[in-house]
Amino acid sequence: MEPALQFLINGLSTGAVYGLFALGYTLVFSVLGVFNFAHGAVFTLGAYLTYLLVGGAVGANGLLAGLQLPFALPFWAALPAAGLLTALVSLAVEATAFRPLRRHRAEPLLYLITSLGAGVILVNLLQLLLGAEGYSLPTTALGALPITLTIAGAQLRSVQLVLLVVAALVLVVLSLWLEGSRSGKALQAVSEDATTARLLGIDSDAMIRLGFAMSGFLAGIAGGLVGLSLSISGPYFGISYGLKALGVLVLGGMGSVSGAVLAGLIVGSAEALVPSEWSGYRDAIAYAFLFGVLLLRPQGLLGRAQSTKV
Amino acid sequence: MDTTLLVQMLLGALLALSVYLPLTCGQLSLATPGFYAIGGTLAALLSTKVPALAGAADPAGGAYPLGSVLLEMLLAALLCGVLADGIGRVVLRLQGIYLTIATIALVEILRVVSLNLEITGGAVGIFAIPQPFADPAGYALFAGALLALVCWLCQRLAVSRPGLAMAAIRDDAIAAASSGIPIEGWKRLAFVLSALVAAVTGVVAAHFLNAWNPRLGNFDASITTLAFVVFGGSRTWVGPVVGGLALTALPELLRPVGDLRLIVFGLVILLGPALFPQGLVTPERLSAVAARLPEPLQRRLGFRLSPAEALDPEVRP
Repeated sequence: MEPALQFLINGLSTGAVYGLFALGYTLVFSVLGVFNFAHGAVFTLGAYLTYLLVGGAVGANGLLAGLQLPFALPFWAALPAAGLLTALVSLAVEATAFRPLRRHRAEPLLYLITSLGAGVILVNLLQLLLGAEGYSLPTTALGALPITLTIAGAQLRSVQLVLLVVAALVLVVLSLWLEGSRSGKALQAVSEDATTARLLGIDSDAMIRLGFAMSGFLAGIAGGLVGLSLSISGPYFGISYGLKALGVLVLGGMGSVSGAVLAGLIVGSAEALVPSEWSGYRDAIAYAFLFGVLLLRPQGLLGRAQSTKV
Repeated sequence: MDTTLLVQMLLGALLALSVYLPLTCGQLSLATPGFYAIGGTLAALLSTKVPALAGAADPAGGAYPLGSVLLEMLLAALLCGVLADGIGRVVLRLQGIYLTIATIALVEILRVVSLNLEITGGAVGIFAIPQPFADPAGYALFAGALLALVCWLCQRLAVSRPGLAMAAIRDDAIAAASSGIPIEGWKRLAFVLSALVAAVTGVVAAHFLNAWNPRLGNFDASITTLAFVVFGGSRTWVGPVVGGLALTALPELLRPVGDLRLIVFGLVILLGPALFPQGLVTPERLSAVAARLPEPLQRRLGFRLSPAEALDPEVRP
């Protein structure tokens, strides 16, 4: 019985991170109809910032070698702080990579390029400043929580429970905000039809900025959580997460919040079920799902079918 | 200029043309590095594992026969052509961003598979791929000839009936379909042509690089090649060639700034599209340049670069 529970928690906690990540894509996609390929880099930045904020020191390779913040926050404070900082960075990405093109009414393809340019800059700045080496968050970051917990006879890493709880919390708050608040509804209105929303007096530019800030916050949180549970393997580590999250996004149906979460959990659990002798192929699972979904149900699990207007 | 860099630039231009071809009918495919990797891996495998291909050349240092390279190119083109046709039947039903994501997934699946297969050498790759040319100049000539051939084909395509059909699909697929243009067929043709160009480029690159590993066909490569096309401009084949040549050279030319070169590269693709939304080379700019060429040369080259100009004699330079 115990391996089953362990598998489940492993899969769910990985899946929760994919879900958070995909949600960040979704927020931007729903207001602008384009992807932000700098999202993976913002995620990476979130992981590094969390590391620095909990008091981690920079290694010997970067320009900032040996730097250590004069204070060390506990993880529960460092994570949202990193999220706020990445939200700011995400706003900067919007201002440089998206706004100029929006003013030109450029074709959507160009956003792919400019956002990728922003991502390349972020990743290489990280490499320049902090070096290419990996970092791991101290195991003491969680304070009084023991490293492993025994629940119903199964040994669980408490990190994974933290991951699940934080992800669930963020999702609940996000859904409540989207459905219940004035600004959340305005955001939905913009994603439904930006022109009509503007005619109704909604400041769509402000909503787009809000979407980016939320998306950056989610990416930062997801990065910090992965940094805690797995470690940061280098400035490029967000890219593979970013690509997989694309698969998760399509599986869930683009623009669907609950779909993104459900798809994240499905992909995470499927990856956990891959037997260890085939572990090399684990990375392909998200893409295999992606292909299957595109062929069978292009609107995604919980997405709406889109009709083409003539 | 350094000949090695020249070869890299020529290969970059070829890959850019491979991304450009599906765009001629409005399809953004990022599958180019996948087919490039198939071509490269196939060439690496055949030339290192099949002794017959090395021919009579003595193993002590004789050059690898050029005929074998051409045979590898043929085989890679066949394999990728068939594969692209099959994938195209499935994937090209998808529209817009879904198609792009599907091609990203294809590239990643191919990368994961080649990382895990024993025969492709896993993450280490395949080494000591035999050389048909003793020095980079040979490769430069060969890749240059290949590029010229592909450019010529793109130019023929642009002014031919299929090219016009593809342009019509790009401008308005629904209108094109209602005018009786079989849009599925032309989209698939463009996708297959793109795969062929990427595959043969992969074969040349494998010999030139002397070693092949799965990293050469990853997502980064998808984006770099896309940047070539967006930077150069996707309305004519000249744009991707210019973009491929220039952006391949850029990181190398920036080598003096050391660690900053990728940041500068990022700045170029971050700011380029806002400054030149159509890319560097637009049909108008190209016509303006072509109009300055001597009259007989213009006629010989048949310099009608966009299909619209081919149809309307008034706009001809």
